[in-house]
Amino acid sequence: MAGGLIAGCGGGNGNNGGDNGGGNGNNGGSSASAPAPSTAASGSASAGGKKDVTLTYIASQGWIKDAEMQLAKKFEEETGIHIDYQIIPADQYFNVLKTKLNAGEGPDLFGGQSGKSEISLNYNVEKNAVDLSDQEWTKREDPLTLDQLSLNGKVYAQTIWDTSSSFVVVYNKKIFADQGLTVPKTYAEFKDLCLKLLQAGITPLYEPIADGWHHTLWFAEPGPQYDKLQPNLYDDLNANQTTFADSAPLKTALTQLKEMYDLGFFGDNALSDTGAESADKLASGRYAMSLANQSLVTDIEKVNPDLKATDFGFFVIPIADNQIYYINPGGPSKFVYSGGKHIEEAKQYLAYLAKPENLQYMLDNDPTVSNLNFSGLKDKYTDEQKKLHEMYPEKGTDIQDYVNYVNPQWMDIGKDIVAMFGGAMSVDDVLKSIDKRRADMAKVAKDPAWNG
Amino acid sequence: MLRNKTYPYYFTWPTLLLYAVFFVVPGLIGFYYALTDWNSYSDEIRFIGLDNFRTLFSSGENYMGYIFNTLKFTVATVVLKTVFGLLFALALNEGIRLKGFHRVMIFMPSIIPMLVVGLIFKSVLNPATGLLNESLRAVGLDFLAQKWLVDAHWAFKSIIGVDTWKGVGYIMIILLAGLQSISRTYYEAAEIDGAGAWHKLRAVTLPLLAPALVVTTVLNLLYGLKVFEAVYVLTNGGPGYATDVLYTAIFKEFSLGRYGVGTALSSLLFLVMTVAGYFVVRLMAREEAEA
Repeated sequence: MAGGLIAGCGGGNGNNGGDNGGGNGNNGGSSASAPAPSTAASGSASAGGKKDVTLTYIASQGWIKDAEMQLAKKFEEETGIHIDYQIIPADQYFNVLKTKLNAGEGPDLFGGQSGKSEISLNYNVEKNAVDLSDQEWTKREDPLTLDQLSLNGKVYAQTIWDTSSSFVVVYNKKIFADQGLTVPKTYAEFKDLCLKLLQAGITPLYEPIADGWHHTLWFAEPGPQYDKLQPNLYDDLNANQTTFADSAPLKTALTQLKEMYDLGFFGDNALSDTGAESADKLASGRYAMSLANQSLVTDIEKVNPDLKATDFGFFVIPIADNQIYYINPGGPSKFVYSGGKHIEEAKQYLAYLAKPENLQYMLDNDPTVSNLNFSGLKDKYTDEQKKLHEMYPEKGTDIQDYVNYVNPQWMDIGKDIVAMFGGAMSVDDVLKSIDKRRADMAKVAKDPAWNG
Repeated sequence: MLRNKTYPYYFTWPTLLLYAVFFVVPGLIGFYYALTDWNSYSDEIRFIGLDNFRTLFSSGENYMGYIFNTLKFTVATVVLKTVFGLLFALALNEGIRLKGFHRVMIFMPSIIPMLVVGLIFKSVLNPATGLLNESLRAVGLDFLAQKWLVDAHWAFKSIIGVDTWKGVGYIMIILLAGLQSISRTYYEAAEIDGAGAWHKLRAVTLPLLAPALVVTTVLNLLYGLKVFEAVYVLTNGGPGYATDVLYTAIFKEFSLGRYGVGTALSSLLFLVMTVAGYFVVRLMAREEAEA
C-alpha cells in the first residue's frame, strides 16, 4: 500500500493494480483500459424518478476495478445516472489532473491519492473538492483512512481500498529451498542471500525502475524502522526540528539501496524494466524475488498454471534491518469536484458504492483485494497472508503517510534516486534535494514550522 | 515583386488585432508574471522582482544544466539535419530512378506526430527486447548494443538521433526546392571552366542555396530550442535529470503549480530564441550579400 500514495503509480507490478500505486492491471481485475463510451445524454429521461445525467470521472490507470464498473452499470439501471470513466495512463495522470483543476475545468468526480499534504498541496481540496463529512458512509470507513482525507475537520473524499495490503518482497520458495536460503531478518542476511543467488546465475530482484515510482518504495516503506532507530524522527521532521540529510537511519537506507543497485541485485535491465512484466518475470524462474503487492501471486498463477500462489512467500523490506510491517492507511480516493454541475448525483454515486452489500460485492469480486477499509465486512486473507501478519506483529505507518511534503514529491525522489544509481548524485545530494523540496512546499503552504 | 494592391492595407488590421490579442499581449503579460510569485496554492500574487531569475541561475538548481542540454540539442540537430538534408536533396535532385518514391519515404516521418514516433522508438530502443538491439544481436554485433535511452551516456544521443530521423525529410524538401531553382547555366559555365563535383558544390550550389539554408537553419534553431515532445516521450528527462531540457523544466514547473517560475523560464527562452534568431538571420543575410 504504501506505495499507493505515490504520484504516478504507474505500471504497478503487473498485477491488477491491487496496489495503491494502481498498476497496469493486465489481467482480469482493474485495468479499465478503455473508458466507457460517453453517452451523449440523448433520449429523454426514462420512466419516473430516473435522471438522465452523465457524470465524468477521471482516474489513473489501475484505480478503477472491474467490480466497481459493474456496480456503476447497476447504478445506472437504478437511477439513470451514467458514469463516464476517463482512464489516463499513470505517468501522465497527475499532470492532466492538475492542469484541469488549475484551469477550473474539473470533471464531476476525480481520483486522487489520500494524505493531508497531498490533498491540500496537490489538489487544493478546500477550493476544488466538496465537503463530504455529512455523508453516512463516513461513519463506517476506517477512521485512519478518513483522517488522511480530512483538513480542518472536513472530509473531502472517499477511499475504498485494501489498506491492509502493503508491498512486500515476494520470493520464489523453490529457488530459496534449492539454494538453501531462508527469509532474512537483517540487511546483512538479505545481502548475503542476494549474492548467493547472483553466483547461482539467478537475478535476485525484478525491479521496475522505468515506472518511475516503484524503486522509491525500498527507501520509504521501512519508515517506521527509521523512526525506531532515531526516536521521534517522524514528528521532528514534521516540526522541522531535523532534516532528511541529518538523519543517520535515512542515510543508511539510501546507502544500502545504492549498494543493492551497484552489486547488480536488480539485474542488467532494471532501468528499462516495467511493472507490467513482474508476474511474467517471476513466473519464469530467472528472478527470485520482487517487491510487489501481495496479489502478485495470483497473477503469477495465471501466467504459469504450473505454479501455485503457495509456491511464493512474503517478507518485509529488510533495509536498515527492518522487521516492522509498514502500512499505508490511505489509497486512491474519489473526490467530488466543487465546480461540477452534478454534485448531488456524484454524492449519490459515492453513497451507492459505500453501501455494505456493494462493498462486500467489490471485496468478493476483486481478486486483488483481501479486505476493504470499511467496518462490517468479511475478509479473504490467504494462508500466506495470515502467516505474514503473524511473522510481523509490529506495525507502523510508512514515511510518506506520516511525514509531510514527502508524497507530493514522490516522482521527484524517484528521479533523484535514479540519478544516484547512475552516479550523478550522491546519497547526501539526494537527501538534501528532498529537504529542499520539502522546504519549498512548506513555505508555499505557509507552514508555521518553516516560517519561524 | 508585384505592386499590385488588390486590397487596401486596412484589411490586415483584423488579423493584426487577433494576433496582438492572442500572442503579443499574453507574451508581454507573461513578462510581468515572471516577476511575481504566482502559484496555484494561493490566490494572491505578489511582485517579487528578479527572485525567480535568481533561482534559475543559482547553483543549487539544475536549470543551468537544462539550458546547456537545450543548446547541445539545438546545435547537434541543426548540424545533422542540415548536413543530411542537403545530402539527400543533392542525391534526389536528379538522375535517380524512383526519386519521387524516395522523396516521399524520407519525408514521411515528418508528418507523423512526434508523440507516435517517440512511443515507437521507445519500444525499438528498449535495451533488452527492442528491435534495434535484437537485430544487432542477431547479426552478431552484440558489442554495439547499448542501453540507448537509459544509459546517461547514450540517452541524449538517442533523442537527437530520433529527432533527426524525423525532421530531416522536411529540411530535405526545402533544400530540394532551393536546388531546383538554381539555373543550369551556372553548372554548365562551371564545367566549361573545368570544375569538378566538389568545386561545383562549393562555388555554385552552396552560395545560390544560401537563402534556403537561412530558412532551414532558422527553422531548425527555433525548433531545437523549443524541443519538448521528443524528450518527454522518450525519457521524460531521465535517467535522473540527464536529458531534461528547458521545455520539460517549464512543463514541470507548471504542473507543480509554480507558475511564476515557469513563466520566468519561458520568458528566458523567448529572449534566447529572439537573440539567436536575429543573429543567425543577420549573419546569413550578410553572407548572402557577399556571395
